[in-house]
Amino acid sequence: MITLSYKGKNAFLEAVNKKSGADVLECYQCGKCVSTCPVSNFMDFPPREIMQMIKLELKEETLMANSTWFCLTCSACSGRCPREINIPAVMEAVRHLAIEENFTPDSKQVKNIRKFHEIFLDMIKRYGRNYELRMMAEFNIRTRNLFKDMHLAPTALLKGKIPLGVKPLKSKKAIKKMYEMAEKLEKQNK
Amino acid sequence: MARVGVFVCFCGANIADFVDVPTVVEEAKKIRDVKFAIDYKYMCSDPGQQMIRDAIVQHRLTSIVVAACSPRMHEKTFRKALSDAGMNPYLLECANIREHSSWVHQKDKKGATDKAGDLVRMAVAKSIANEQLHEISVPVTKRALVIGGGIAGIQAALDIADARIPVTLVERSPSIGGRMSQLDETFPTLDCSQCILTPKMVDVASHPYIELIPYSEVIELDGYVGNYKAKIRKKASYVNFKTCTGCGACSQKCPVKVPNEYNMGIDKRKAIYTPFPQAVPNKPVIDAEHCTYLLKGKCGICAKVCEKGSIDYKMVDEVIEREIGAVVVATGYDLWDATPYEEYGVGRYKDIINSLEFERMVSANGPTGGVPVRPSDGKVPKTVVFIKCVGSRDKAKGIEFCSKICCMYTAKHAILLHHKVHDSRAYIFYMDIRAAGKGYEEFVNRAQVETGAVYLRGRVSKIYQKGDKLMVRGEDGQLGQEVEVEADLVVLATAVIPDKGNPALARLLGISYDKYGYLSEAHPKLRPVETAKAGIFLAGCTQAPKDIPETVAQASACAAKVCGLFAGDTIKKDPMVSTVSKEFCSGCQNCVKVCPYQAIVTEDIPLGHGAKEMRTVAKINEGVCQGCGSCVAICRSMAINLAGFTDPQIINEIVAI
Amino acid sequence: MKEVSYFPGCSAHGTSEEFDETVKMVMKTMDVEMEEIPDWNCCGATSAHTLSESLSYALPLRNLVLAEKLSNDTMTIPCASCYQRMKATKVHMDENPELAARINTAVVGEGNYEGKVAIKSMLQYCYEDMGLEAIKAKVTNPISGMKLACYYGCLLTRPKAITQFDSPEYPMSMDRIVEALGAKATPFDFKTECCGASFSISDTDIVLQLSGKILEMAKESGAHAIVVACPLCQSNLDMRQHDIEKKYHVKYDLPVFYLTQLMAIAFGFPKAKMMFAKHIIPVDSALAHIGEVIEEPKKPVKGKKAVQAESEVE
Repeated sequence: MITLSYKGKNAFLEAVNKKSGADVLECYQCGKCVSTCPVSNFMDFPPREIMQMIKLELKEETLMANSTWFCLTCSACSGRCPREINIPAVMEAVRHLAIEENFTPDSKQVKNIRKFHEIFLDMIKRYGRNYELRMMAEFNIRTRNLFKDMHLAPTALLKGKIPLGVKPLKSKKAIKKMYEMAEKLEKQNK
Repeated sequence: MARVGVFVCFCGANIADFVDVPTVVEEAKKIRDVKFAIDYKYMCSDPGQQMIRDAIVQHRLTSIVVAACSPRMHEKTFRKALSDAGMNPYLLECANIREHSSWVHQKDKKGATDKAGDLVRMAVAKSIANEQLHEISVPVTKRALVIGGGIAGIQAALDIADARIPVTLVERSPSIGGRMSQLDETFPTLDCSQCILTPKMVDVASHPYIELIPYSEVIELDGYVGNYKAKIRKKASYVNFKTCTGCGACSQKCPVKVPNEYNMGIDKRKAIYTPFPQAVPNKPVIDAEHCTYLLKGKCGICAKVCEKGSIDYKMVDEVIEREIGAVVVATGYDLWDATPYEEYGVGRYKDIINSLEFERMVSANGPTGGVPVRPSDGKVPKTVVFIKCVGSRDKAKGIEFCSKICCMYTAKHAILLHHKVHDSRAYIFYMDIRAAGKGYEEFVNRAQVETGAVYLRGRVSKIYQKGDKLMVRGEDGQLGQEVEVEADLVVLATAVIPDKGNPALARLLGISYDKYGYLSEAHPKLRPVETAKAGIFLAGCTQAPKDIPETVAQASACAAKVCGLFAGDTIKKDPMVSTVSKEFCSGCQNCVKVCPYQAIVTEDIPLGHGAKEMRTVAKINEGVCQGCGSCVAICRSMAINLAGFTDPQIINEIVAI
Repeated sequence: MKEVSYFPGCSAHGTSEEFDETVKMVMKTMDVEMEEIPDWNCCGATSAHTLSESLSYALPLRNLVLAEKLSNDTMTIPCASCYQRMKATKVHMDENPELAARINTAVVGEGNYEGKVAIKSMLQYCYEDMGLEAIKAKVTNPISGMKLACYYGCLLTRPKAITQFDSPEYPMSMDRIVEALGAKATPFDFKTECCGASFSISDTDIVLQLSGKILEMAKESGAHAIVVACPLCQSNLDMRQHDIEKKYHVKYDLPVFYLTQLMAIAFGFPKAKMMFAKHIIPVDSALAHIGEVIEEPKKPVKGKKAVQAESEVE
């Protein structure tokens, strides 16, 4: 049972709308997004329900949902939404709010997804470009799953599918500085 | 010395919540010429009007200001109150403190109150310069023109004609009957559409007061209420209806095949054809776009087989004129083309059809003998998916509004499918079931219980082909689960849109239409069948999507309006019209150019008193003039005066603030 | 000789080297000179916009600024993901110059951004700038006989507001290009369904399910192979195909070509240069169909849509 009590303001809804540039109130719950979304059955709340939860100001539940971490930003939903809601932007706004307010869904999958993105960004920070083999290896180490995809390794490496090295950037320093500045800017915006 | 009475209305809470009404009254009392001011909860009610009537007598008032809602709403009401108290009704001024103040300044009560005070000051100042005016009488031509011969046009024509008023009914296609003639059975009673419609069609043809002009279009309308003149183009039918017996030999022998509009293109008709067996008039026409003889000068088979010699290839379009007093527009609807729904594969899959196509298939006189079939392979479908709201309630790809009739006819389709194919199953994807109407909810219930039709709440997101099935994917909102239905046939309840000719027709009639092409009524609640142009009325889906009962009701309402208009020998018209002071008119004729109603002509008058030389001046037909004021604004010589909006009145208003 | 700026993207030097190589062959044949953006950086891919709004703009913006320093008016990008990030950044920055200025001065620091370079995916460049006729004219070794399912994925045509190219639901540009090369494009309903993208590593099960469905429908369409224009799609459909077959107990054996590989073959480049060795699913069975005559299926029963056109005489 959820008790709904109006606190005089829809703070969460407004925060999501502002961050996403979309209007969640437009949603009339037709569910077209749900059956469009390739990953909705992996989510604990599919997009339609996320919209409703935002409308109901269920902030904590929304920020703790794994849904936004599964969103692939494939934009299939927004292309079909009869209310022209930019659903991926809403998902992204919720995810960024969750990061800002330190909400992490208690799920191994989400932790893996987040770890993957962190490692990926770290690769760019270090090399300016993605170092695919190293990224995969680090992912396996940091998720304590050393043998993941090892069955692919012999073929992939032998066939040269995944090269052993990376050509790093000349201006690596510039990239590193960008990271620092970006972090600063985001802190300011908060 | 002016003695003005000011009456300020609360309009319940509409005004009083955002405008401090007593303050407005106090402000009004401060105006020099105001001898009486008072407020009341509902000024338009009888006690409110009584206050006005009493005050006029008691305080010997010379003009009245009512500060309330828009004059479009109640100006007439208050004018009548003035007349009843023996005062000229045009000594009334309305200060619109609702639409112009309380409704638009809901967050600023002080500002709204100040503005209301200003509006009252202006109205008082203007009213002082008001003149006594008198209604204009214009003669009436007692004949109605009905445009469109579907059920709306048929009903309106019959009702008007039954009141012994002559009617000219113009229909664009070769037969009357419209969309309703294409339907199989009708909700919520499942009576056969043809059975209830065709007798009415026959009545139209045989009615002594109805002149039926099929295969024709209205191309021009001049004049004004009670005195319109319509030009009608009769398209060449190439068949002499007087001698043709309707034997059908010509159609039988005609070698040219054309997609049959009546059957939504499912089968073919000939180039010389009668749209359907029950057509009225039951005479064929030649479709000039496809006839080999008319295109290439070869063939001529129909002329050879016609025993009566009724075929006349030399026939040409003919333009006829009718003088009429009122117009009923009933041009009906069309279905939205669902091609933008690329995710459904519309256009790629033959087994996706729209609801009118399904209607023709299950129709007893349809191209498939009343049995639905898959267009791809001719097989009878066992699983049929119906998708509602395709294009409706979809501002991204379609239109924003609800098409209103789809919920009901889809329930009907489920029942008809069950009747025609007993071992079939209907799956209906819906967003809401809107079944508000007498017997409607019961009918939907019948579809669910009697036929086992499965209702799934959700919009379909994708349709794709797998083997010979169409996979229809959507969310079942009740389960909170994605579902895929393996369908043999998919029927789209596409949005109801107005006839695509509506904007052009609206322009030629001088009436307005909305962004979708629906013709606009004068007031959404209180004048739903009238247009803003006097004497032109709307019936059926030309105004908004409607089902048959509503369409018939609106058509009868139009008939009542027409009969009311024709009840006397003359009709009254507001005196707010322009007049030209000939002595000041320079004859530049700019007013002629700007007049949107063609109300201004020119006349030649002697240059001076008794002079032989003539000069040209403007002349206004007060019957046509709608009092818009364009001519007043353009006139460089200030020779034109608009009654009710004279220069002193306007200047007074400006000076007052 | 035309000139165009080129952004290869990280995978061009890694998993999709064969894409990069064949793009160069195609461009050379079509008389287009490519100028690589000097010292370009990673676009940030999905990860940047997942975790950080400002980085998601800043990383692509640096490349956009670098691209403006070259004299070409167009930049073409083979990788669909890079293309999407760069184009999305361009659209957002162009719509919101204030944000552009803020990100540019606060984060990027490589000079002014004016928004004067058009960004096109390789597919879009082939379809719009080269044109079907010109492509057809260069075909010396038509790949007729091959039936191909063209797979566009999410990012080449969606969202429409960003890509402004082809249909987001049923695009046809790639289909038309392979037909210009002589092949037959099969009617394929899963052209724009998502393959699972970067979940390839972080949540492989999702990829197996989504890519599995795509393979199934491609097979159903009668295709000998799939054609893609995105390294991640290629990698998911090709590298994960055996896992998919194992998980769902099916056999697809559908090679996954880059569009430019097939173009290069049709333009007469030797097979040996296509780096087919890098493919996990061998390509030979599919290439063996070249030269076969495809029998058109008998016309189905006439449906109403087929007969609508002109009037006909008996």
